[in-house]
Amino acid sequence: MSATRSPVEEVKHDRLATTVVLHPVKLPAPGATSRAGDGGEGRGWRRWAVPGALVAIAALALFLRVWKLNALGFNSDEAVYAGQAASLAGNPNYAPFFPVFRAHPMLFQTILSPFFRTGEVDLAGRLVVAVLGVVTVLAVHLLGARLYGRRVGLIAALLVAVMPYHVVVTRQVLLDGPMVLFATLTLYCLVRFVQGQQVLWYVATGAMLGVTMLTKETSIVLAGGVYAFLALTPMVRRPVRMSLLALTATVAVFLAHPVSQALAGRSQTGKSYLVWQLFRRPNHSMGFYLETVPPAMGLLVVAAAVGGLWWLRRHRSWRETLLLSWIAAPVVFFQLWPVKGFQYLLPAAAPVAVLAARALTQMPVPEPVRRLLRRFHHVSHGEPARTVRAVRTSVIAVVALSLLVPSLNAVNRADNSTFLAGSGGVPGGREAGRWLAANTPEGSVVLTLGPSMANIIQYYGHRRSYGLSVSPNPLRRNPSYEPLPNPDWWLRHNDLQYVVWDSFSAGRSAFFSERLMVLIRRYHGRVVHTEYVDRTDSTGARVPVPVIIIYEVRP
Amino acid sequence: MTDPAHPRRRHAGRLLIRALLIACLLALANPAGAAHAAARTAPAASATTPIDHFVFLMQENHTFDNYFGTRPGVDGIPPGTCMPVRRGQAEPCVKPFHLGELGSLDLDHTAEAFRVQYNNGRMDGFVEGVSTQGKDGKLAMAYYDDRDLPYYWNIADEYVLFDRFFSSSNSGSIRNHMFRVTGGPGATGASESIPANGWGDIPTIFDRLEAAGISWKFYVENYDPTITFRSRTSEEDIDRGAQVIWVPLLAYARYVDDPRLFGKIVGLDEYYDDAAKGQLPAVSFIAPAGDSEHPPGSIRAGQNLVRTLLTQLMRSPDWNSSAFLWSYDDWGGWYDHVAPPQVDRYGYGFRVPALLVSPYARRGYVDSTTLDFTSALKFIEVNWRLKPLADRDRNAKTFLDAFDFDRPPRPAVFLSTERTPPVVNRPNPVPVYTAYAVTGSLVTALVGVAALRRRRWT
Repeated sequence: MSATRSPVEEVKHDRLATTVVLHPVKLPAPGATSRAGDGGEGRGWRRWAVPGALVAIAALALFLRVWKLNALGFNSDEAVYAGQAASLAGNPNYAPFFPVFRAHPMLFQTILSPFFRTGEVDLAGRLVVAVLGVVTVLAVHLLGARLYGRRVGLIAALLVAVMPYHVVVTRQVLLDGPMVLFATLTLYCLVRFVQGQQVLWYVATGAMLGVTMLTKETSIVLAGGVYAFLALTPMVRRPVRMSLLALTATVAVFLAHPVSQALAGRSQTGKSYLVWQLFRRPNHSMGFYLETVPPAMGLLVVAAAVGGLWWLRRHRSWRETLLLSWIAAPVVFFQLWPVKGFQYLLPAAAPVAVLAARALTQMPVPEPVRRLLRRFHHVSHGEPARTVRAVRTSVIAVVALSLLVPSLNAVNRADNSTFLAGSGGVPGGREAGRWLAANTPEGSVVLTLGPSMANIIQYYGHRRSYGLSVSPNPLRRNPSYEPLPNPDWWLRHNDLQYVVWDSFSAGRSAFFSERLMVLIRRYHGRVVHTEYVDRTDSTGARVPVPVIIIYEVRP
Repeated sequence: MTDPAHPRRRHAGRLLIRALLIACLLALANPAGAAHAAARTAPAASATTPIDHFVFLMQENHTFDNYFGTRPGVDGIPPGTCMPVRRGQAEPCVKPFHLGELGSLDLDHTAEAFRVQYNNGRMDGFVEGVSTQGKDGKLAMAYYDDRDLPYYWNIADEYVLFDRFFSSSNSGSIRNHMFRVTGGPGATGASESIPANGWGDIPTIFDRLEAAGISWKFYVENYDPTITFRSRTSEEDIDRGAQVIWVPLLAYARYVDDPRLFGKIVGLDEYYDDAAKGQLPAVSFIAPAGDSEHPPGSIRAGQNLVRTLLTQLMRSPDWNSSAFLWSYDDWGGWYDHVAPPQVDRYGYGFRVPALLVSPYARRGYVDSTTLDFTSALKFIEVNWRLKPLADRDRNAKTFLDAFDFDRPPRPAVFLSTERTPPVVNRPNPVPVYTAYAVTGSLVTALVGVAALRRRRWT
């Protein structure tokens, strides 16, 4: 029942069998082999090596997820989720600005809410996500160990621990970090079902998928991964009644969302959001994921995962089918789906890491390299395994470093200028909001360039904010956003007292930036506060660049 | 005594004596200039209260009952009120009614209209006073309420509303505006018009402020500095002739002809700039133009003007030491049920709305002290230790009780233009917490049981 089963009793894929059967197998994996000369002292060291390595990986993962965690304030999505949690907890600072129910189910916000009962909270929310990110690393270890042995589990955990994609997302109060944890656990349950053929694991898979969907409903696409795997692996026995049972578990668990929402007094929010998602225009090009996700996962990791599929093709089994199905489901769906988000493919991070770890632990070492190393290290011909192990360890270290360096850069970077949703906090946003809270009368109303800054201002500034670019057309806007059909009228009637321009939103829409400036000029705009970010100019010098400007306006 | 050890000090002493001699000679040659110079250089007297900036806006032509007569907790329209169409005849009569969007008229508000409506204190001529002018007298009994004046009513909730604040004169605008700045009626006798040569030497509160070296400005909406008592032949002859009535200083030769004094009468834009920079003078008078609420003008536009002025004051660095009073220059012909005390032959006139906004203002306070426009002069005189201008302001009560100086200044709050604030519906969190807790527990138990059981399903 535990992860220790895998090295000694491995599932063997029998193409002719009607089901997956368990056979005791001798694994070629180095972790499972014992070497001559290992005495009791060696076994004792090995007993503690794996837990020790796991603790070290978890510590590294935690460090990367909490280092300078609060350097930047929330971005728009973080503000919304944190605001929902605070509203659910009854925090009076947020209830007027953030309705409890918006677009997504509330599992994550419910977990967060005890931390948001009073005052302004941001660090605690991010710490919760960071801890869940570390738990995900441990879950990846379980998954990898269950599939390919402890060494693969450890390396896969290491890759996820330092992977910029996962590090960056699990430093933010987003649904995707927790969702990936539950997705990985779903995958783990499925593996346990395939390996053990226990109906309870099948039902647990369905239930855990329901939990994943309760975190973010778009993870329903992972059901497609499960279906694809089962369809491509007919030898996994899955009677219809048992499948229905698992499906029932998924539905029953997910019902917690609509039922709780209905009992709490709301029922239409999700429907409106779905309609909008179905008809909204694409927000990125078709090449978006290709451009952003592989570098974030690590090009060497992706290369290793793909390469491993090639050089271990003779060892292909249901495991690769499962992992590829799990990767393909979100990739295909979100590639076709017009709305794209940086973090949407995060569920693929765990299986990619496992595939990469598998490939790296069994990477072929060309004979010339072996000869070279033998000559260099004076290794005798009788120790080829040691040479191979040294090469593989070096490659694993290089791959891990290739992830660690960009991750460190990402967590140390304080001048995020991309403003790519999901890629991090917003420089100056928190400070601008706090300035508004401290220096403007209660009841002030703010016009921002876009809804993202409006969310941030509402979170940190506690001032009602409207995004100029929010379309009055209900088919063209997020139903959670309130449009300002005639901002000129509002300004003329003194219903807006402040205007906030920000370079991030301006970079996305020059049209609305210019329109905002026209209103600022027309209504006697007076700069009352500016937030700067240090940037490097053409000469290499660090210069302060205004990123957020707050204007006072009047009729 | 000279100090041979400090020749520089001796030299400096000689320079100082010479400078004083030159100053004395200049003063003899131009005493007015010297007085102004002294006023400019004299240190401003410090206020006796925490109020360093007093702003006084005068709107137009409404009574207390017309704006707040239906408000609970004030001396409003008595139950069962029905105003006779003819004085002395109980029937037929007109009950107060909500005017709302029905539209209003510029009702008669002359001394004669007051005489008929007041009817020697019987207060039964409001309909007849308007009807005799050929207008629908019933309109005098119309009122507005919080549906029409949500912002003003919200202000009253948060700050101070005066329910015994009378217009100073029992006639129209000219005398009331003169009371506002001089403590007297200006034109005496039957005449209410501005003399052809202006108001002459009648002292104003601004003279007192000048003499004491206390800063002041008169802000005028849509200000046209070419319109003065000299260019204005009568109210109707030129456009915006009311500017000279609402800004009495423009009917003073000494204010119009002295560029320095004339420079203190400025456009309203300067109010916003001064407030934004924390450079409001100690005393600011404000005169509106089209946003004066003078019937049949839009009361919403007037509300918007007041709100914009208050918005700027509230976000000004000067907010913590400010008080903003606004009132209405006369009753405008509208009904009010309180017979005004007649303190002299000119007044009081009927009650007018008056509200005070300040960080020191008592919250939701109804001040029932008998006040009039000269009470504002009294406040200025008390606050900056100035001499009274006339009997009215000398004898007037002021509104110091409306402040609570024992408490720290309140932070500014932008009040809504909605009478009923939007209700924040917080869903019941119990079903949410329960549903997710139960679901999470069941899934955890399921996985736990699956992990503990090793039985294979076949």
